[in-house]
Amino acid sequence: MRSLPDTAIARIRAWSARRHGVDGLPVKIERRRIYILPTRFGLMLTALLIAMLIAGLNYSSNLGLAFAFFMVSTMLVAMHHCHRNLLGLTVDAKVEVEAFAGADAYFQFMLRNESAVDRCDVAVRLGTASGSPLVEATRSVAIGSYEEVVLAVPVANRGVSRWSQFELRTRYPFGWFRAWTYVQAPLTAFVAPSPRGNRPLPAANAATGESRRAESRGEEDFAGLRSYAPGIPLKHMAWKTLARGGEAAVRIYGDLGARPEWLEWSSLDGLDAETRLSQLCRWITECEAGLPRPYGLRIPGIDIPPGRGPAHRSRCLRALACHGMPSA
Amino acid sequence: MKLAVPSASQVTYDQLRWMSVCLALALAVHAASLPVWLLAAIAAAIAIRLALAARGYAVPSRTIRIVVAAVSIGILFLQLHTFNGVAAGSSLLSLVAGLKLFETQSRRDLYVVALIIYFLSLAALLRSESFWLLAYLLAVSWLTTATLLRLGDSTQPSDWRRSARYAGRISAQALPLALVLWLFFPRFDGPLWRVPSDTRGAETGLSDTMSPGDITDLALSDDIAFRVHFDGPPPPPAERYWRGPVLHDFDGHTWRRTVAFRGQATGLAPLGIAYHYVVSLEPNQHNWIFALDWPDRWDLSDAYLTSDDMLVRPALLSRPLDVSISSHTHVQSTEPLSEAARRRDTWLPRGINPRTRQLALELRRSHPDDLAYANAVLDMFHRQQFFYTLEPPPLGLNSVDEFLFDTKRGFCGHYASAFAALMRAAGIPARVVTGYHGGLYNRFADYWIVAQSDAHAWDEVWIEGHGWTRVDPTSAVAPGRVEPGAQGALAAGSRLSGRWRGPLSWLADARLQFDALRQLWRERVLRFDQRSQDGLLTRLGISEPDGQKIAMVMGAGLVLVFIWLTWQIRREQRPDPKDPVLRAYHKLCRKLAAAGLPRRPSEGAETFAARVASERPDLGARVGPLLRRYSRLRYGASRRAAAERWFVARVRAFNPRRAALEARSSQDRARTAR
Repeated sequence: MRSLPDTAIARIRAWSARRHGVDGLPVKIERRRIYILPTRFGLMLTALLIAMLIAGLNYSSNLGLAFAFFMVSTMLVAMHHCHRNLLGLTVDAKVEVEAFAGADAYFQFMLRNESAVDRCDVAVRLGTASGSPLVEATRSVAIGSYEEVVLAVPVANRGVSRWSQFELRTRYPFGWFRAWTYVQAPLTAFVAPSPRGNRPLPAANAATGESRRAESRGEEDFAGLRSYAPGIPLKHMAWKTLARGGEAAVRIYGDLGARPEWLEWSSLDGLDAETRLSQLCRWITECEAGLPRPYGLRIPGIDIPPGRGPAHRSRCLRALACHGMPSA
Repeated sequence: MKLAVPSASQVTYDQLRWMSVCLALALAVHAASLPVWLLAAIAAAIAIRLALAARGYAVPSRTIRIVVAAVSIGILFLQLHTFNGVAAGSSLLSLVAGLKLFETQSRRDLYVVALIIYFLSLAALLRSESFWLLAYLLAVSWLTTATLLRLGDSTQPSDWRRSARYAGRISAQALPLALVLWLFFPRFDGPLWRVPSDTRGAETGLSDTMSPGDITDLALSDDIAFRVHFDGPPPPPAERYWRGPVLHDFDGHTWRRTVAFRGQATGLAPLGIAYHYVVSLEPNQHNWIFALDWPDRWDLSDAYLTSDDMLVRPALLSRPLDVSISSHTHVQSTEPLSEAARRRDTWLPRGINPRTRQLALELRRSHPDDLAYANAVLDMFHRQQFFYTLEPPPLGLNSVDEFLFDTKRGFCGHYASAFAALMRAAGIPARVVTGYHGGLYNRFADYWIVAQSDAHAWDEVWIEGHGWTRVDPTSAVAPGRVEPGAQGALAAGSRLSGRWRGPLSWLADARLQFDALRQLWRERVLRFDQRSQDGLLTRLGISEPDGQKIAMVMGAGLVLVFIWLTWQIRREQRPDPKDPVLRAYHKLCRKLAAAGLPRRPSEGAETFAARVASERPDLGARVGPLLRRYSRLRYGASRRAAAERWFVARVRAFNPRRAALEARSSQDRARTAR
C-alpha cells in the first residue's frame, strides 16, 4: 500500500541520509529516526472518522460522539504503537557479500528485540537505489529474541553493486499507519561473473592419471604436516599434535600440499575478457567444492597466493568482480 | 467453480470468519429496523462466502457479483425510495457490507468491511441513548480491531487471545484520550443541517382522543412517561397535575382534539409561588410537553403555549428531551372567554345522551349559580352508588347516559367525560384535560417518576370571575367505593400500585436505584452540552468560561494524556525486572558464564542451548531442557504457574560443576556397563 509518490519518498530518503549520516552497525533504532504516516487505509479511516464526528455533532448525539472519539483515540494510540513497534529494535547486517551475475545476492540482517514487547511484522526492505527491484521480507521478533532475515536481491551484471541504505518498515498493529526508518549503512554486493565455461582445471590438466589415483588412496599416502588454515576439513586435523600442545596442524597426503592449483588469466588464451572471468569463476567454485587443494588466482594486476576457505574464496571472487571496473 | 489461487494478500478462512462474526454482531443492533429479506440476503451472502472459503474455492465471477449487487441495491431502493437518513442509510450500509464480504478476495477488502462495521456502530448510537448499547458496540469495535490485527503479514500465527488482549490494551489506552475529547470538544446547539426525520415510531402514552376505558390500558403499564426534578420543594400532592392534551370535541362517546389551537394563549395571572423544575420526557411520538399546570416559562425556543394552555413543540418527540420549566399551580384568567371558545366548549351532539340533558336541566333549575351547579354534580358522584374500577362494563353510543344511570362504574375517563357533558348541558363551558397526576419520589436521587399508570383525566370549567377552574370529579368518588383492580387494592388518589410500588420493598428499592442510575446517565452523559462544559470549567476554577478557554483546557488535557500514554508505552517496553522467569533466566546465564559459557548478546535461548550442547556436551543434557523450557515459557501462548515454579526451582538447583561431574560419572557407568 503506497500513499506517497516515488519522488517524495526519494526526497525523504535523501533528507534522512543527510540528517543521520552513515550509521555504524549494529544500530539501535531511536525515536528521531522513525518516520510515520497514515496508509491509504488509514486515510480512509480518517475520512470516516471525520464523517462520524460530523454525524455525531449534527444529530447532537453524545453517544455517537463518544463512539467517534473512542475511534479517534484508538487511531492515535495505534499510531503510538506503530511507532513503538520499531523503537529500540537493534539491527545488524552483513554489509559486504559476494554474488554471481544473473543470480541473487544474499544480504543477511539481524533484528534483535531486547524489550518486553513483541515486535510483529517488521519488514526489512532493500530499496531501488541502484535500479534493482525492491526486495522485502517480513518477520516478527519475540520478546528478548532475535530474527535473521535474508534478502535475496537479484543482481544482473558483474561488478560492484552498492546500496547506500536499507529500510525497516512496519504497518503493525492495524495497518492504519506505516512507520519506517532508514538505516544509513552502505551495503555492497561484489558481483562475480556467472560461473561458466567447460575447460578443466589447469592442474588437473597437468596432473597424470597416477597422481589422481594417489589422491584416491587417501590416508595411506601420508606426506607430512602443514599448518591449519580455515576451511580444511576437520578429518585431516592432526589431533595428536594438537593434544601434545603443538600448533593446529593438518596432515597432508600425496602431492596435495606440494602442488597448489593456479588459476591463471593467461592460461585462457583466445577467449574474451568476460568469458575468461567466467571460466576463472567456475574454477574457483569447483576448487572450493572439490578436493581440499589450495588454489591461487592470477589475473592482470592481482596475484592472490594459494589458500582455501570462505575468506580466500571471497577475496578471489571480489577480485573477479572488480576486474576492470572503474571505481573498484 | 475455480479454486482460489493463494497469494500473500489472499484472505484466509480464519480472517474471513472472524470479520463475518464482527459484522454479524454489528448488524444485530440494526436487525429490528432492517427489512427481513435484507437480513436474509446478507446472511446468505456471508454464509456462501464462508462456505466457499472453507472449501478453498474462489469468489463467484465478477458478472455474478455485479448482478447480485445491482439487483439487491435496486430492490432496496424500490422499497425505501431514498437512501437518505439514518434508517435508510444503515440499510444500504448493511447491504454494502454484506456484498463486500461476499466479494472479498484480498485482505484489503476486509479493511473496507471493518470501516463499514465502525460506521454501522455509530449509526446505531445516533438513534439510541442506551448505556448498554454503547458498551456493546465498544466491545464490537474492539473485536473488529482485534480482527484487523490478524490481517497483518504476521509470519507466525499467534493465537486469538493474544490478539484480543493487545487490541484490548490499545482500546483501554484510548479511553482517557476519548474522555478528554468528549468532555471538551465544542458542541453546537442545533443541527448543522436539517436531516430527514426518521420514520415515525409507535405512539406511546396518552393520545389526543379519549374514549371510555382508554386510560385503563395505561393504568396497567408502569412504563415511565417522564421524570421530574424540582429545584426547591415540590408542590403538594393535590396540585401535581401534569397537563397533557386538552380535548374539546365530543360526539357522545369519544372526546377529541381536532383543531390545532395555535395562537395567542389566554391571559393568565399567576397566583402564589412559582415551581421550577426540569421535565425529562421519554420519547412518545407526540408533540406535547407535560408541564405542571400551568406553565409560564420554559427554555425550549420552539415550544409555545396553545390558546388552551397546552405546551407544545412543532416536532414530534422521537428522542428523550429535557425541558426546564417554571409553573404556577394557581392562576386566574385575565381575559374573558371568546365567543368562539364558548360556543365550542358548550357544544353537545344533538339527540345523544338524552337522559343526561334531562338531569342537567333538573339540577340547573335548583342551582342557577355555575359553581353551585358543579358542586352539586360532584356531590351526586359522592352520594350515589358510583364505583371506581379498572374493569368498567363496556359502554355504547350514549356512553354518558349508560354510565350515569345504568353501570355507575368507571375510571377517571368516565367521570371526566360525564362531568364535562353535564356542565355543557347546563351551558357552562367545560373541557376535558388529560395528563398525569401525582408521581413517585425516588429518594435515591431526588426526582419524581411519573409512570404511565399515573395517567389521569380531569375537567376544566369556565367560572365567570375565576376563569378556567380545574375540577377532578374522580376524587369525588367515595374512597370506600373503590373496587380492587388487577393489581390489588387501589385508591382513587394514588392509583395503581404497579411494580414501582410493589409489595416487595427491596425489589422496589432496587428498581428505584436502577432508575436513579439511568437518570444520572441521562443527565450527565446524554444531555451533556455547552452549558455542562461551562459548568465543568467553573468547577475547575476557571471563571467566565468561553470557547477559547474550553479549547485551551482541551489542549492541556490532551498534552497530559499524551504524556501519560508515552510513559505507559515506554513502561510496557521495559523488561519487567520482577518477572521470576526472566530473573531465573538471567541467573542461569550468569551461572553458565561463570562456567566459561557466556551467552552472546545476539543469542536467543534456543541458539544458546545449541551452542552449549556442541561446546560442552557434558552440560548440554542439563542446560538444554532448561533453556528450551524458558523459551516456551517466554514465547509460548500460555504461561502456567506450575511450569514457572518448576523452571525457577531447577535454575536455583543448577550447579555447572556438579552437573558436569554427574554427566561424566553417568557416562563412565554406561561405559563399564557395556
